[in-house]
Amino acid sequence: MNPTVILELLTATIRIATPLLFAALGGLISESAGTFAVGTEGMMLAGAFSGAVVTFTTHLAGLGLLASAIAGASLGGLVGLATTRFRTDHMVTGLAVNIIAYGLTSFLLRGLFGGQAPVIALPTLGPVPVPGLVSLPGVGPVLFDQPGLTYAAFGLAAALHVCLSRTRLGLTLRAVGENPTAAFSLGLEPSAWRFAAVVAGGALAGLGGAVLSLQELGTFTDGMTHGRGFIALAAIVVGRWKPLATALGCLLFGATSALALNLQGWGLPLSSYVLQMTPYLMALIVLSGLGRHVRMPAAIGTSFLRD
Amino acid sequence: MTNPSPTPLLEMRGICKQYGHVQANRNIDLAIAQGRIVGLLGENGSGKSTLMKVLFGMVRADAGTIMFRGKPLVNHRPREALAAGIGMIHQHFMLVEAMTVAENVMLGWKPAGRWLRRRTVARLLKEKSGHYGLDLDPDALVADLSFGRRQRVEIMKAILRGAKLLILDEPTSNLSPPEVTGLLAALRRLRNEGLGIIFISHKLGEVLEVCDDVVVLRAGEITGAGPAADATRASLARLMVGRELAPPAPPATSAPGAEVLQTVGLSVRDNLGVERLHQVGFNLCAGEILAIAGVDGNGQNELANVLAGVTPATSGRIVFQGADITRRSARARTAAGLAYIPVDRSSTSLVPGMTVAENLGMRDFERAPFRKGPWLDRKAFQREAATRVTAFQVRCTGPDALVQTLSGGNQQKLVIAREIGRQPKVLLAFQPTWGLDPGAAQYVLEQVLALRASGGAILFISSDLDEVLALGDRVGVMFDGRLLGPLPRGEFDRARLGFMMVGAEPGARSLPTETFQAAAGPSVP
Amino acid sequence: METLTKDPDPSLAESPAGSAPQLVDRWRQGFLLIGTAVLLAFAVAAIALGVAGKNPLVAYWSLIRGAFGSVDAVSFALNKTTPYLLAGVGVTMCFRARVINIGGEGQIAVGGIAAAWVALALPSLPAAVLIPMALMAGGIAGAFWAAIAGALKIYRNVHEVLGTLMLNFVGTLMVSEALHGSMGEPGAGFPQSPLLAENAWLPGLVPGTDVHSGLLLAVVAVVGCHLLLWHTPFGFRLRLLGSSESAAAYAGVSSARGVLEVMLLAGCLAGLAGGVEVLGVHYRLIEGFSSGFGFNAVAIALLAGLEPAAVLPAGFFFGFLESGALAMQREVGVPSSLVFVIEGLTMVFVLCAMGLQTRQRRV
Repeated sequence: MNPTVILELLTATIRIATPLLFAALGGLISESAGTFAVGTEGMMLAGAFSGAVVTFTTHLAGLGLLASAIAGASLGGLVGLATTRFRTDHMVTGLAVNIIAYGLTSFLLRGLFGGQAPVIALPTLGPVPVPGLVSLPGVGPVLFDQPGLTYAAFGLAAALHVCLSRTRLGLTLRAVGENPTAAFSLGLEPSAWRFAAVVAGGALAGLGGAVLSLQELGTFTDGMTHGRGFIALAAIVVGRWKPLATALGCLLFGATSALALNLQGWGLPLSSYVLQMTPYLMALIVLSGLGRHVRMPAAIGTSFLRD
Repeated sequence: MTNPSPTPLLEMRGICKQYGHVQANRNIDLAIAQGRIVGLLGENGSGKSTLMKVLFGMVRADAGTIMFRGKPLVNHRPREALAAGIGMIHQHFMLVEAMTVAENVMLGWKPAGRWLRRRTVARLLKEKSGHYGLDLDPDALVADLSFGRRQRVEIMKAILRGAKLLILDEPTSNLSPPEVTGLLAALRRLRNEGLGIIFISHKLGEVLEVCDDVVVLRAGEITGAGPAADATRASLARLMVGRELAPPAPPATSAPGAEVLQTVGLSVRDNLGVERLHQVGFNLCAGEILAIAGVDGNGQNELANVLAGVTPATSGRIVFQGADITRRSARARTAAGLAYIPVDRSSTSLVPGMTVAENLGMRDFERAPFRKGPWLDRKAFQREAATRVTAFQVRCTGPDALVQTLSGGNQQKLVIAREIGRQPKVLLAFQPTWGLDPGAAQYVLEQVLALRASGGAILFISSDLDEVLALGDRVGVMFDGRLLGPLPRGEFDRARLGFMMVGAEPGARSLPTETFQAAAGPSVP
Repeated sequence: METLTKDPDPSLAESPAGSAPQLVDRWRQGFLLIGTAVLLAFAVAAIALGVAGKNPLVAYWSLIRGAFGSVDAVSFALNKTTPYLLAGVGVTMCFRARVINIGGEGQIAVGGIAAAWVALALPSLPAAVLIPMALMAGGIAGAFWAAIAGALKIYRNVHEVLGTLMLNFVGTLMVSEALHGSMGEPGAGFPQSPLLAENAWLPGLVPGTDVHSGLLLAVVAVVGCHLLLWHTPFGFRLRLLGSSESAAAYAGVSSARGVLEVMLLAGCLAGLAGGVEVLGVHYRLIEGFSSGFGFNAVAIALLAGLEPAAVLPAGFFFGFLESGALAMQREVGVPSSLVFVIEGLTMVFVLCAMGLQTRQRRV
């Protein structure tokens, strides 16, 4: 492989990992606080849709991003309400939210724009070169000539790392996911924290969807997330619920997809469908490789009862 | 209660709390003065823990008022209780195991700072814990700490938060005797510095030793209160139980029969490879009770589970009626006549969401009469349930009642009905009276004695030394995964067992070494 | 991942057996509860209709007419119901054992491939041999697909939710791969296999309609699962596993074996559903034929309150809902994807109601 190909692959890896990273960080917040983030896929989809529609109608990408975060957060609120107030099963609630998001985006797309298969076309958000760093030889154009949301995603991973390990807020989040009763006995309100965490996680997942529709593809189509929300969950497991390691997990899945895309261009005897399977197969292989050493937040998936 | 200080630190009036149809607290008044240790004494289920949960805001009272340092606490949650200066050491510790000691201290604590001041807190923690003789390493992971150390973390959490009143719920129940001594010393020092302390216990000796005042609860009501100096063991026991304590169980009248269960070098490692059970060897004969004492968490659970076939042995052998059953399944062991009463009723020995009939059949459903060909025989379930519910006096609305609607005592009767009703050759009973009211506990012990009388062999594991002393024909002690002893009746007493419970080899004190070595077998070097 | 049974959440699995009078009571209560959830879902979805500028009453009327308005409509709905019953009752059994199998879609997909492959490979066999063979192939393929997720859970600690989800994508991509490769119909504008020989077509169930005999198979499967769950040691084991892992271990029930068995059962039923779709509805393998089926199966299991027998009404509800929605799209131009919103909302409301119920029972 020559250096250009490697640089191309790296660029593609980072590009593909960006929406995954937003979603994974969102899921990580939710899961650290004790709520399974199976709804991430739906929150991404809702974010992708709202971002695209609002940007399309207002021509303001900033407003679109805001809308995508709100859409994701709203679905997060639904999950949070159901799991804390009504003690529903986290997995199945997440699944239901995915179905709602799929149906609602598909329905509203047609309902708002008419026709059987309306098309929204948007200019994608372009790269923002970092002055100075971009001219570094080799990696400069790869790392520092990316669209704004990509920088944001990786910055967010670092910020979340600091937050979880160095602040009282992070300590609290982890505590309600590890032992909500202990947190409660110290005067914290586990249900409120969990709700907030799912909402915040939803907002990030929504932004992840917006990356897809606004930064990468410049359009919205039915179910366009194609399981990226689930891959993000796998990245969290791979990263053992640590932000920086989760970012590496996202890059791993990004690299897998990038490589598969690249191979398609090489005219190998593998069909495009087999190559499309690679991220999912990769996830299965990596997850099974971790085996028994996975330790998730101790109280994840449980509900907290006061009495 | 008597109270020398004009304005008490805490004043609770008319507290009532009902769970389902159980009145856990009935019109309770309680006052605590500064610089006093007040013992709150009562049997399991007498309402002590509920009262304290109400005080701390973990549970909302149905009626009553609370004044703390002259201010009312109304409809409060732990947040307000903490802010007011109440610290609580729960019986089940409120610690996050995956975090360090310092992180547990900083959790939800404003002075730790938005940006955690790790170093400052660590220094403070070291200093303060040293001052009370409760030394702690701030960077140790709580998961790696012993029970006693975890309790220190809990106490330091409360003290650093500036607690004026400290509540300790059964603080000594899982401590070894030296740890108890250390804890009591720390409590006295805290009292002398002006804290009010509520010491919840059902152990008379400790209460009389450390407390200034005593309040006794029974069945949700206060039955007596006064200075500890005026109280005696006997008077407190009467107030607590409401009747004279049952005399110790008679030892087996006939000599033990044939050997039915034997283990040789039995060892168990957990998932992480830590050895939980080390080379345990004992034998058990028909018609005898081998009682096993020990502080919780020293391998008793592992021993019970490995004998019952719930978890596999790493090495060693289990011989049951002459046959090696080390590799046999739990189901096969049950069928062969090995019964097991685990400690946890809520999710192990019973399924609360299933019916009484189904729970009675849950260990035998693969065999007749519960199974007929490929089908479950629902009629047989009903029939069996009807008979056993009557025979074992289980109070329920019928075979179709959900187990979660039964009281704790009746739930345990159901377990007894299933395990003893099968007329087993060997019964493994692990803390069978845990959490029961005195009447139900008495019933359970009677059934165990009845089984011995009819020739059954019983391995009775309990952390309650009184029970062990009352029941055991021979007594062993579990410490750190090893079985010490067993010693025959006449060779053990409270002091000697207490000594063994901290890991001292039996016979290390001035005891007749020869007789001891003969009895102790493999565990003596 | 570890198992998810940290604090057994009683909203899944546990529900008591009960004698006859209690049973009637429970069913009536269940219908009331689930009826409310469904109505609420329709009410909330009406808001979405409003946002899109449609009149909810007109839309819902058209949906009802479309579902029940003609013999063709009803038979179309019955055929839609068939795979839902099969996959839904399988998921019900899994959830009873607290195995969150959401891999119906992938299992249906590979089941369809296997059934179509057999039917295409042996077109000259008589129907009485070919049809059972093709269906069996579908069942085995589905069972195998589910067993992968089961084995990953047992031996490699991979949570079944992630395992089945990933296998869904792989399974549906395999359909595409097959149709763009060896099994595709050359020259067809759409990714599909050649038409199957008529020997392989499922016979009709009701003369004069399109209703195929797969429906009978589905009803038998539902009844069978009901018997399995409530009247056999296997069902008792599943229920114990669903209640708590420690209770199951205490009762001598192996969790690994239970997980594998129930995954095989559910996978086999889903694979059969795939076979039935191919042999009874499309008469060929087509791309995307399993789309959304797996998630619907989960929704149906919930709607049925995890009661196998109740999968019948729940499955029919979904079948008629979806066929009605297609008519609604045709006649009044309301996008049929609205049904996903209704289904998802129904799930959420049913889950909430179950949560409330267990809270009351908990005291």
